[in-house]
Amino acid sequence: MTMNSERSIVGKNFRKVDGVKLVTGRPAFTDDIHLPGMLIGKILPSPRAHARIKNIDASKAKALPGVHAVLTYRDVPRVPHTTAGQAWPEPSPKDTYLLDWKVRFVGDRVAAVAAESRAIAEEALRLIEVEYEDLPPVLEIEQAMAPGAPVIHDEPDSTGIHDAAHNVAGFILKEIGSVERGFREADHIFEREFRTQRQQHCSIEPHITISWLDPDNRLVIRSSTQVPFHARRQVAQILQIPLQRVHVVKPRIGGGFGGKQEMLLEDICGALALATRRPVKIEYTREEEFFMARSRHPQILRMKMGVKRDGTIVASQLTVLATTGAYGSHATTVQGNTGSKVLPLYRVPNMKFECHIVYTTAPVAGAFRGYGCPQGFLAQESLVDEIAHELKMDPIEFRRKNMIRLGDLDELSAELGEGRRGLPRRIRSCGLPECLERGAAAIDWERRRKAGPASNGHLRRGVGVACSMQGSGIAGIDWASALIKLNEDGSFHLLAGASDLGTGADTVLAQIVAETLGVSLDKITVTSGDTDFTPFDVGAYASSTTIISGGAVKKTAEKVRDQIVKLASKMLEVPPEELICRDNQVVAKSECGKAVTMADLAMHATYREKFQIIDSASHFNTDSPPPFCAQFADVEVDTETGEIRVLHLVTAVDCGVPINPRQAEGQVEGAVAQSLGYGFTEEMVLDGQGRMINPSFLDYKILSSKDMPKLTTILVETEEPLGPYGAKSIGEVAINTAAPAVLNAVFHATGVRFRKLPVRPEDVLRALGAKGDACA
Amino acid sequence: MNTIEIGVKINGDSKRWTIAPGDLLLDVLRREGYYGVKRGCESGECGACTVLLDGKAINSCVMFAAQADGCELLTIEGLAQGDTLDPIQEAFLERGAVQCGYCTPGMILSAKAFLAHQPNPTEDEVRDALAGNLCRCTGYLKPVEAVLAAAEACRRSARER
Amino acid sequence: MFDHIQAFHRPRNIQEALRLIQDGGGGGRFLAGGTDLAVQADRSVRFLVDLSKLGLNYIRPSGSGWAIGATTTMAELEKSPAIRALANGILAKAAASCGTVQNRNMATLGGNLVNASPAADTATPLLALDAVVTFTDAQGQRTTALAGFFSGPHRTAAGGALLVEVEVPEPPAGARAGWSFRKLGRTQSDISLVNAAAGLGVGPDNCVQWVRIALGAVAPTPMRAANAEKLLAGRKLEPGVIDEAAAEVAREVRPISDIRASADYRRQMSGVLVKRALQECARQAECAL
Repeated sequence: MTMNSERSIVGKNFRKVDGVKLVTGRPAFTDDIHLPGMLIGKILPSPRAHARIKNIDASKAKALPGVHAVLTYRDVPRVPHTTAGQAWPEPSPKDTYLLDWKVRFVGDRVAAVAAESRAIAEEALRLIEVEYEDLPPVLEIEQAMAPGAPVIHDEPDSTGIHDAAHNVAGFILKEIGSVERGFREADHIFEREFRTQRQQHCSIEPHITISWLDPDNRLVIRSSTQVPFHARRQVAQILQIPLQRVHVVKPRIGGGFGGKQEMLLEDICGALALATRRPVKIEYTREEEFFMARSRHPQILRMKMGVKRDGTIVASQLTVLATTGAYGSHATTVQGNTGSKVLPLYRVPNMKFECHIVYTTAPVAGAFRGYGCPQGFLAQESLVDEIAHELKMDPIEFRRKNMIRLGDLDELSAELGEGRRGLPRRIRSCGLPECLERGAAAIDWERRRKAGPASNGHLRRGVGVACSMQGSGIAGIDWASALIKLNEDGSFHLLAGASDLGTGADTVLAQIVAETLGVSLDKITVTSGDTDFTPFDVGAYASSTTIISGGAVKKTAEKVRDQIVKLASKMLEVPPEELICRDNQVVAKSECGKAVTMADLAMHATYREKFQIIDSASHFNTDSPPPFCAQFADVEVDTETGEIRVLHLVTAVDCGVPINPRQAEGQVEGAVAQSLGYGFTEEMVLDGQGRMINPSFLDYKILSSKDMPKLTTILVETEEPLGPYGAKSIGEVAINTAAPAVLNAVFHATGVRFRKLPVRPEDVLRALGAKGDACA
Repeated sequence: MNTIEIGVKINGDSKRWTIAPGDLLLDVLRREGYYGVKRGCESGECGACTVLLDGKAINSCVMFAAQADGCELLTIEGLAQGDTLDPIQEAFLERGAVQCGYCTPGMILSAKAFLAHQPNPTEDEVRDALAGNLCRCTGYLKPVEAVLAAAEACRRSARER
Repeated sequence: MFDHIQAFHRPRNIQEALRLIQDGGGGGRFLAGGTDLAVQADRSVRFLVDLSKLGLNYIRPSGSGWAIGATTTMAELEKSPAIRALANGILAKAAASCGTVQNRNMATLGGNLVNASPAADTATPLLALDAVVTFTDAQGQRTTALAGFFSGPHRTAAGGALLVEVEVPEPPAGARAGWSFRKLGRTQSDISLVNAAAGLGVGPDNCVQWVRIALGAVAPTPMRAANAEKLLAGRKLEPGVIDEAAAEVAREVRPISDIRASADYRRQMSGVLVKRALQECARQAECAL
């Protein structure tokens, strides 16, 4: 293995391999094709939060000229499934149907049409006559389990629901040691409640799928998806056609963030393509995207910690009540993370995590970057900050005292895998101490904390910190494979099942391959995310691409390199162990000067040896090495308006060895923007009937370039033995604690804590008024 | 269905298009093959559909195509000269300002219109110019740095000429 | 998507534009920038009358004030040297705060006023400046104070007439004067949850000789804070007096709660924004507080 300093491609800021295509606007996204005869598909969303369909009459819609198909529950197979993009057997409840005779949230599918134009499709939707039998909605999390609450999933054929009669989609209870004993030993006990809201991914490209039958009558699905292989399996299952007959293609994706770790439109689009025998496109409008896609699970978290007076945490207990909305996609796994990735950040001998995930007749929650961690770290990092303050300890010192260390074994992970018993986690790389040190320096922590909160008229300044960890792939479950073949000009084709959703995965994988083969980056052509042509990959989620897909491409490249070296050995008459691949050549290590270019070798292999140099490999890990992150905020609070202005947000992150540092920074910076939106501006608001009242960018505010603070990103390098070239992951971790760091800074500035997101200026003003500090 | 004819000059080419009176410019552009113009919100909020109309950045999703009759349009497809990228495109690549790339054409065009009138901008001015291009991937830092770098590159080559 | 729109007209003169709407049986709409019309799903719209060739895009002197054509864009207002110089640029600043660059390049002053959102950013400084609006229909032209133009949220006195011009009279004379415009939003490019424009002039004794206070997004229409203005008239400009005026403003406004803010918060912020606006005016007027 080459040492860090000897690497020429890994660890360098190469331009993205798909960059030119993107900056020149070449047709690369799902919608950027023209298919003659393509029909427009549209879904009729339910206007009711909870109702049975007593009667549905599509005759007028079918009779409208230009309409080619109208599907209701009577026209399609009834196959219970989950839409969650997860490895089989999916841990999420199988409680969803292609089309159903019951609707469970405003936006649920009632019917689907395919017509010759968008206008005709929309007109057709208006002509479908539906008679609903209204049922009482269930909108408050706390009401879902109450005795007498309406049962949302009363159908007999759904499976995997923990307790349907009480609307409990999932239940988790795990304990390490005994918290009861731990709390008895504690000198101080702190307990607080936190509440988080529904946040939407807001990928700038909404969900879109185009489906058609190819000349071999195979169903092609071209879709903006993070999980092409899961989508293939699920579509085959739901439409009851052989998996062999389904071909899923993932073009460039305009953002996903977990919202596209879901089989959302592929099934209904495929059904319309089969029914019409024409290409069909379903493309969500932004409005539909807001309430008919997925969102982050809202949670009520009760966190309790027991500490000794010297600051040692002896017990920590997290009790969560979450809602998954109307269907259980990712219900137990997201919430499982809230426990398994959050509590073990601190070395506490007694930990308990208990969680109910309930159904409500509300938009469906699913995977969203962070996957349960933003909620959990809000609670933990706020509570830890409060404890440090009460004990008169510096927040960093408190964390240093308790935080997980290199060599530690995290046993809670063993208790909470993806739907089954997981695997214990050993910390083999940990840059958290350095993250804290360098981040603190960047925000001038010591001086600012020593000086105390600064005041200037009605403005208050403060600094705060929050830490987190995540995972890198799901241990024992996430896996990937790749195939590499040598072309006769010395270039290579990398076929990877992995999904680049804009994260730069293709580039990172190509860099790993190029480094391993000793060739320049431009010699690698990448094809990814095509179920016919690329080998299997679970898809892009759980921060798995660099470590798992990267592990697979590295293994594959090593096998290909072995074939190359074997042939070169024959050509050069040098033993294989004396040969090294570098600079697009195979070179003898000794001074004998013998070498062959990769191009010459390839030509020789192709036309003289008549042998295709090609290989493939698969990879998974039995552990999930966490990236670590410390975020620091410098804020200014206007005590007259309640506005929080973040002046500076520092992120220090240990992602192992960053394969492409600049792209890694970009991941951090985008995650910070989403975290700040989560903390302060974003919320899906439902009215009393369960309708989302703000399904537009006008009313659901994500941050723009003018709203961002100064950002500093510090990559702390460690070498992770389980990762290719020492890499871990960076896709999610930075979304966990930007908002909590800001809230801790707000406490420093004003002495007021906030435990309910989003924190709006009027919430700040009200709290300051209650405290007697508001100037208004 | 009534149709009308409009004439535009797009990326230097004169075109005549037959459209419906209620057609939006975004729909017509994509129908005519300008796939670099993206659909993100259809309400003039996200800027993914940004094109330049007579040199000004506008949201093509909230403009009727008929309003563009007689005007000059610039889409992302018209920016590069053959294989030679515009300095803004180069800067976006060099600075890692492109992630998923969906907001990128709109953002680059906003920057193009802005730098034409403000060749020596401050960071705040750049942020203001890009405020109508929402991005969920980058956090805006690298795009802002890219625009500043492109401005510097243009000033440098102007000095050298 | 807009298949209900059957025709697009681009008349060359105002009479033709009026005739097209009049003869349209209610199915026609005047089209200025289009940024509001193109988002509405109003299926009763049958045809559009584009105003861009009517010569209504201008900013020119009028008497001792300025006349602004109705199809002048927000971007043009933002950049016009005359508008930037007028009343310390409060109208330019308000125009610059309307949405994003792309919105401002198409959205027009006339469209903003006729849309009559209670939060319309340009309405607030125009009210403070005692602007008048001129509209024209088959019966001829008439001019009315902007104050009487708004009749409710998204309702104006225009009826079927075409708004053609906004005239801003010259602000009151006097060396020691100041103007300020401020707004609050959830994010930087947001629609205002409160906006305020203020102007005042003081005499050598620092007594208020004239004062204008206008607010948006805190009542069914943009409004003048008449009680607060009366309270300030003739008083010596001091922090305590400004606080009194701010408190009076908070009593005068009639805000609602919506997705952007609660009524309570709007009420409180009316006072805060006006206070800060008056402080800024005082600074410009070189009136030490």
